Amino acid sequence: MTAFRAAFGFQIAYMRRNRDQLMPLFASPLYTVIFLAITRAAGRDDLSSYAVLAPALIALWAVSLMSAGEVIDSERYEGTLEAVVATPASLGVVMFGRVLAVVVIGCLAFFESWLTAALLFGVVVPIPQPGWFLATLAITVLAMAGTATIMASVFVLARSARTFQNVLSYPVYVLGGVIVPVSLLPAWVQPISRVVFLSWSADLFRDSLGAAPVEAPVGRLGMVLLLGAIGFAVGGWMLRRILARVRETGTLAYA
Amino acid sequence: MGAAAEQHGLRSGSGGVDRASGGVVVGSDLAIETRGVSREFRTGRGRRAATVVALGSVDLAVPTGEVHGLLGPNGAGKTTLCKVLSTVLLPTRGQAFVAGFDVVRQTDEVRRRMGIVLGGERGLYNRLTARRNLRYWGALFRLSDRDAARRADELLERVGLYDRAEERVETFSRGMKQRLHLARGLIGDPQVLLLDEPTTGMDPVAARDFRTLVGELRGEGRTILLTTHDMVEAEHVCDRVTLIDRGELIATEAPRTLASWISRFERVDVDGADDRLLAEVAAIAGVGRIEHREDGSTRIETTQDGAAAAVLRLIVDADVTGVRTSLPSLEEVYLHIVGDRAMDVHRTIRDDT
Repeated sequence: MTAFRAAFGFQIAYMRRNRDQLMPLFASPLYTVIFLAITRAAGRDDLSSYAVLAPALIALWAVSLMSAGEVIDSERYEGTLEAVVATPASLGVVMFGRVLAVVVIGCLAFFESWLTAALLFGVVVPIPQPGWFLATLAITVLAMAGTATIMASVFVLARSARTFQNVLSYPVYVLGGVIVPVSLLPAWVQPISRVVFLSWSADLFRDSLGAAPVEAPVGRLGMVLLLGAIGFAVGGWMLRRILARVRETGTLAYA
Repeated sequence: MGAAAEQHGLRSGSGGVDRASGGVVVGSDLAIETRGVSREFRTGRGRRAATVVALGSVDLAVPTGEVHGLLGPNGAGKTTLCKVLSTVLLPTRGQAFVAGFDVVRQTDEVRRRMGIVLGGERGLYNRLTARRNLRYWGALFRLSDRDAARRADELLERVGLYDRAEERVETFSRGMKQRLHLARGLIGDPQVLLLDEPTTGMDPVAARDFRTLVGELRGEGRTILLTTHDMVEAEHVCDRVTLIDRGELIATEAPRTLASWISRFERVDVDGADDRLLAEVAAIAGVGRIEHREDGSTRIETTQDGAAAAVLRLIVDADVTGVRTSLPSLEEVYLHIVGDRAMDVHRTIRDDT
């Protein structure tokens, strides 16, 4: 827990000097403009909440993906990765703490999207069920950071993981129902989507923006948490295996 | 012998260190032990595949409380051995123990007891302050916030950086970074400290302070393995020195003992010796090179025990009184053993094709 808290606080301090990891936040208002322009041109103002929510979720996933790689890359660049591995702290926990800090800051994307919609389009998207909205946000942030540890472990193995990182962006936006709800995707895709925690999160967010009560919120939040925990467990397992491998190959410092 | 050491059947025997003589006292346990540790790296692919042997079969025993020097040229295997001991690199063969714990199977136990200072300017978070760096490293060693803060300040004071604690590391000189490295290595209050080229970039005053600090750390009962190119440093701070070259340990002795090894290379400097006398000296068994020096004196190098005494007798009998003898420095021991390959980067390559 000490290492986790330290890693979280360290990352906040680190980002004050290195803001690269928050680059996706610059794209978020632009996506908001694009999506709202489309829904407005289509005469579908009822989808305004979708158009405002999607850029925030995109930014959140992009931030977590990017930071997972950047954290490892920056450790290598500073020459600290070997020294961190040589401490009693678990590298997985350290990575989780650092990525979580980035994702928490990444939540600013929600503020940006809502603000862009209000200022440029005069669209104020209400949040009728703020409790479920915030609960979904909190659990989604945890799941994001947990899942991102998989990405971090791949970066420990190889710098070329950047390609893998890029490939993971848009498929997850689609499978996660970020832009188009999973229920509107082809039937054969839907079971696959349900393995992606973001599909549960996106639906919960949208439901919390609607007037109707959120159906089975606890169970669905539990799914987000479970899938995020599975992601963290898989990431931790991969990290241990990969660390064992790079200790064997001698490539920890310069994979 | 500690419980942990007993658990792994570590032998006593090499024991603690008698500082006065630099000798070894039987009876304490070993802080560092390697048994036949080797490390190979594979390079290239296909027909270009080769195996680089960075460490041969290394047997090293460092008793608790000893400051042990690892002396060798670039590519000798010093850093590789440090990495194996610090658990970030697996040995290809053999076993290594730190504080009685296996560096492969008991990494957590090893990491809790060890601090590492890897050489060079890298290894710190440059855009953060010195204090922030140390507090973070303290947390990674499972110190509470309060303990990490207290320990960070103590160490900043100790390495002379307290007044610069709130400045970013990227503004530090190389020597200051090295001192911060050292503080980082101590943040977890380690029993065993691995220092890989710790004085690289330090000015002479800082290097002298470093030696004082190493002495203090030894006084606290810590065990230190120090790799260095600096012979003077090794002579000043180490209880024993291991010479390493091409991944093989050549010798482990007290610095003074190492120097005495080549007493057969003892030098006799003589003023005013004529050619006839020097010819007679040259005829003595065990006399090596005779060199005329810029100051007008002549240096006679011997190559076997007893030769220097015979040379001295001959010179004194010839009524030449301007004569001096000198013992070789550790650097000369090093150069004699490693030879003119000292500045080369070595590696043993086995072609796998």
